[in-house]
Amino acid sequence: MNLIGNICSSLFTDLSGDSKSREGVRGIDASIRFPLLTLIKSAFIWLIVATVFGLIASIKLHSPGFLADCSVLTYGKVDPIFWNTLVYGWLFNAGLACAVFLLSRLGGNNVGLGVFLTISVSLWNTGVLAGIIGIMWGEQLPFEWLEFPAFAAPILFLAFLGIGTWSLLTFRSRIHRSSYASQWWILASIFSFSWIYTAAQVMLVCMPAQGAIQTLVNSWYVENVFGLFIAPLAFATLYYLLPKTLGTAVVGYKYSGWAFWSWFLFASFSGIADLANGPIPAWVSSLGVIATFGLLIPTTTMSIQFLSSLFSRFSVIWDSATARYLLVGCITFLLVMYHKIFGALRGSLDTTQFSLYDSGVTQLALFGFAGMTFTGAIYFILPRLLNKELPSTSLIDLQFWSHLMGLILVSIGLISGGTQQGELMNGSTAEALVVVKTMQSSFYLTTIGMVFFLIGAVASGATYIGIMLSTRTPEETETSLIKEAPELEYSAS
Amino acid sequence: MNRGPFIFLGVFLIVATSWTFVLFKSNQEVGQLSAVLDEDLGKYVPGKTIGAAAHGKEVYQELGCIACHTQQVRVASGMDIARGWGERQSVARDYINDERSLIGNVRIGPDLSNVGARQLDRNWHLLHFYNPQINSQGTNMPPYPFLYEVREVVGEASANALDLPEEFSPGEGLEVIPTRKAESLASYMLSLKVDYDLKEAPKSNETMAEELAVALENAQ
Repeated sequence: MNLIGNICSSLFTDLSGDSKSREGVRGIDASIRFPLLTLIKSAFIWLIVATVFGLIASIKLHSPGFLADCSVLTYGKVDPIFWNTLVYGWLFNAGLACAVFLLSRLGGNNVGLGVFLTISVSLWNTGVLAGIIGIMWGEQLPFEWLEFPAFAAPILFLAFLGIGTWSLLTFRSRIHRSSYASQWWILASIFSFSWIYTAAQVMLVCMPAQGAIQTLVNSWYVENVFGLFIAPLAFATLYYLLPKTLGTAVVGYKYSGWAFWSWFLFASFSGIADLANGPIPAWVSSLGVIATFGLLIPTTTMSIQFLSSLFSRFSVIWDSATARYLLVGCITFLLVMYHKIFGALRGSLDTTQFSLYDSGVTQLALFGFAGMTFTGAIYFILPRLLNKELPSTSLIDLQFWSHLMGLILVSIGLISGGTQQGELMNGSTAEALVVVKTMQSSFYLTTIGMVFFLIGAVASGATYIGIMLSTRTPEETETSLIKEAPELEYSAS
Repeated sequence: MNRGPFIFLGVFLIVATSWTFVLFKSNQEVGQLSAVLDEDLGKYVPGKTIGAAAHGKEVYQELGCIACHTQQVRVASGMDIARGWGERQSVARDYINDERSLIGNVRIGPDLSNVGARQLDRNWHLLHFYNPQINSQGTNMPPYPFLYEVREVVGEASANALDLPEEFSPGEGLEVIPTRKAESLASYMLSLKVDYDLKEAPKSNETMAEELAVALENAQ
């Protein structure tokens, strides 16, 4: 009974104290509290689901007999379920949670429509669930990150349209006439995803192109989901949270527009580099290589912006959990881009093509760069949304370190193991069985990494449950609990 | 930079340009191909996958075999030719009959575009799916026991029962019968072979040298 009371007090906060300065913010928070909590809750649930499936998939690579009798858990199904829950379950929910919070706070206006947003979010998660059941049922499509059966696509599209419409309305109703970098990134990512998803569905499912073109469409889509949706949401989060947690404006903010446009231009062409030597015209992959090199411009600009900001207030990183997550996010971003840019070179591609190297880089990008940034942001959002302290710093430390440990192990396992695999597979005529033997230690390393990810995911789920169920202390009923950071966004631009 | 419509338009133009160059233009170039008459074989190539093999292709898609197997051969890089995975480059025309492309981009196992020319024994495939350790010991390919039915031998053993080695046998008086899915998948494997030439498909230098030698011999 007490727990139910605690949940109610979390959802319907009634605070006392001097509320004048925070009245506006509290109104905004109240209007998005429910949809935002739905997004965060779903994100954490999907993260746990994704890591469980990732663990099963990675165990199957070194012990193929594991769960082999179960037709719904064969490797060919578990692997796509892992990727799809990771992308559409965890990262979409977490990324959109950041987007919703940022748009509302930066807009400074209460647009309402919380019910509409909640329905859209629930519809999105229903679509993801339907897709996963479809894959288990044997209805999967053979397209990377688009394995969900055709019936899930309209649900997801409709749901995304709902979330997109809400975002657009919130942006339009903003009280500041100027806009901040985070807002551009969020808007652009939402526009882009609706287009690339439509283009991919039309060319793959509704009016399928010929076989070879389908692989091209698929590669273009996968890279754009990262480059034009997930990464932009993470950038948006970094542009907003760095000033908030560090108390200083982003260093070199005036170059943000430059970084924004160059990123979109080059990222939209970059994904096709790894199709080299396949059954598509050679100029396509060459174009991809050139575009990938173009990404050096925004990568350098943003890395300098983010890392200089972080290093200018380095001491904060020891005090603020969020800043620690952002630091790891920024460093992983650099590592990911290093692998993406130099991995697209013909020389390295000749070695790594078709190996697990790509999978490693993608996991580094998803779990590391985007995952760390979004998790840090959620730990920033939750206390402000509920006006409660995070229940336990040791849980957050546990999550941080096990996630980091998982990240290191999985990327070493897949990136260095994948390179080794590629060298044997593309550079020698070694028997397939020899390749498998050589890879064995990498597979074990990946499994241990996945166990760490799972521990981290459970810890973050526990943090969420903890903050929702904890009894409100007297301090937590006061508005003075949260000290709002200065608004640096508009003074910087 | 401050206005939504400006961002909307800019991003729209970028995504549309990317779509036009990457997808639309390649689709115009190699996306409208049709089968060609191969005069040596006296038929149009590539042929369609039909019958049990077509059902097997669905099973291949359903089980997600694409997670570990590609169906493309490269000449310009890698060791595909030296490994005997094919004799020439795979080109767009090879895939025109695929409603769902199964080309793939991960190779945890070998490429399968010519598996029907490499491994002709149907029983080999059926044993391989039941438990890959039977004929490829040490592989990390999972077994697919759910594609088989284990039942008691009543009277004489069934004609289509698997001929299993002792250590893989389910027990005395039991036999393992492939289901329709397993049979179809085997038919699909046997149907996977690129046994025709296309003039746009480059061959490896070694293959070309061999063919030239044969042609010279014939001419003399």
